[in-house]
Amino acid sequence: MIAFRGISKAFGERRILDDVSFEAERGEILFVIGASGVGKSVLIKQVVGFIRPDRGRILVDGEDVTDFEERDFARIRKRCAMVFQHATLFDAMTCVENVALPLAKHRRLDQRQALSEARALLARVHVEAFAERYPGELGDGLRKRVAIARALSLEPEVILFDEPTTGLDPVNARRVDRLIAELSEKARVTSLVVSHDLTSIFTIAHRIVMLYKGKVRLIGSPEDFRQSTDAVVRQFVRGEAQGPFET
Amino acid sequence: MPEAATRAPLAALGRAAASVVGLVGQIALLGRQMLSSLRRGQLDRTELVRQLYKMGWQSLPVVAATALFTGGIMVIQAAPIVQRYGAHGLLGWGAGFGTLREIGPLLTALMISGRVGANNTAELGTMAVTEQIDGLRALAIDPFGYLVLPRFLAIIASAFFATVVADALALVGAAYAGSWLLGVEPGLFYSGLTSGLLGFSDVAHGLIKSVVFGGLIALSSCHHGITTQGGAPGVGRSVNATVVTSAAAIFGADYLLSFVIQ
Repeated sequence: MIAFRGISKAFGERRILDDVSFEAERGEILFVIGASGVGKSVLIKQVVGFIRPDRGRILVDGEDVTDFEERDFARIRKRCAMVFQHATLFDAMTCVENVALPLAKHRRLDQRQALSEARALLARVHVEAFAERYPGELGDGLRKRVAIARALSLEPEVILFDEPTTGLDPVNARRVDRLIAELSEKARVTSLVVSHDLTSIFTIAHRIVMLYKGKVRLIGSPEDFRQSTDAVVRQFVRGEAQGPFET
Repeated sequence: MPEAATRAPLAALGRAAASVVGLVGQIALLGRQMLSSLRRGQLDRTELVRQLYKMGWQSLPVVAATALFTGGIMVIQAAPIVQRYGAHGLLGWGAGFGTLREIGPLLTALMISGRVGANNTAELGTMAVTEQIDGLRALAIDPFGYLVLPRFLAIIASAFFATVVADALALVGAAYAGSWLLGVEPGLFYSGLTSGLLGFSDVAHGLIKSVVFGGLIALSSCHHGITTQGGAPGVGRSVNATVVTSAAAIFGADYLLSFVIQ
């Protein structure tokens, strides 16, 4: 579904990603983990053209999108929705208006129909009670769920989650996890999740890719990570302060 | 040593010139991008109507108040000369000439720049630093068609229509001040306006200026807004840059247009 082939990216003198390759299959929940600043967000933003790789190719369902123009990415962004770390809801609109906007723009619904469908999407992520509230009036957990509802309005095949549970209390974090798992099970949505929330990783991930010093250190199931003999991987997944892991 | 002392200010001047040229180039590119979005039919009409209401309609009270007082002030300033030469019959022409060609479009542009341009930059800047513009792109919505282009057109339209209103109200203010201060009857004031010394070209002169000023405010405020970086302090810097750039561009364009359009 999504394939990264030999991706390299540098900002100035600093090389962030170095020959990174892996694939995510349809319906899979694939976590990308690693230390802060290792390039996890840089990697997933390349799928929708927010950042361009210096080298390598990115394929969406077999189609090479690496050299797409900005306008060509509109088609890809409808199929691959992105939920940002800070939700990025529009302050000037209520939650239901936020979700209705892409419905009105892309499905040519009139405002009344778009709002009605938006309410249904908010109900799907269990935040319909907050439909008429502005994003600034809500906590992080609710805002993230509204952002997921807005992403779902595109009926995407892939959702790119950038640290979906960072900053959330454990209850809200697990609710977001459950949503991601439901999307995979019921709608066969592929989720590419950037995170270092170990509970999320070991609860819902089908596979995990660990980046370390710009390269892929290990790709495997949660079980593979638990049983890894690599000292760097072991230290990271156990969250230990002492060890060979360098940040 | 003296050579170094001469070189430093020259280097600073060169850097400043390069920065101005860079800014003009970036704003020109933005203008091209907006024309391209307009040509591709990506204008969001609902958003355009919303911005016209917010930027144009809601600016009218402040523009009206400013215009009424400005017309009065022009008469107060002219009163000693009018009285000394007994040129009461020329008061309407003098107020009309100054208002329609210069004061109306210039003051309205400065009001629109302060009220609308600064606000536009603050809104776009806040959206940029909180990734809301990337949020639009992620939803496959073109930020130019949805956010920037409606604001660009709404600012130009607001500047134009606000100038029409300001011209009319400034003349009303001048007529009242003339009647109150100099005893010039509104009928005499009106005949001074319409006696043939003023023509359509004077009205058009001011209105062409209003469109150019509106375009400059729109380009400057949209450019500084969408390129904002660095959180809340960055938004403050962008708003400041918009006000300075718009004012400088308005006065520069006014100087040039006064030569070019007769």
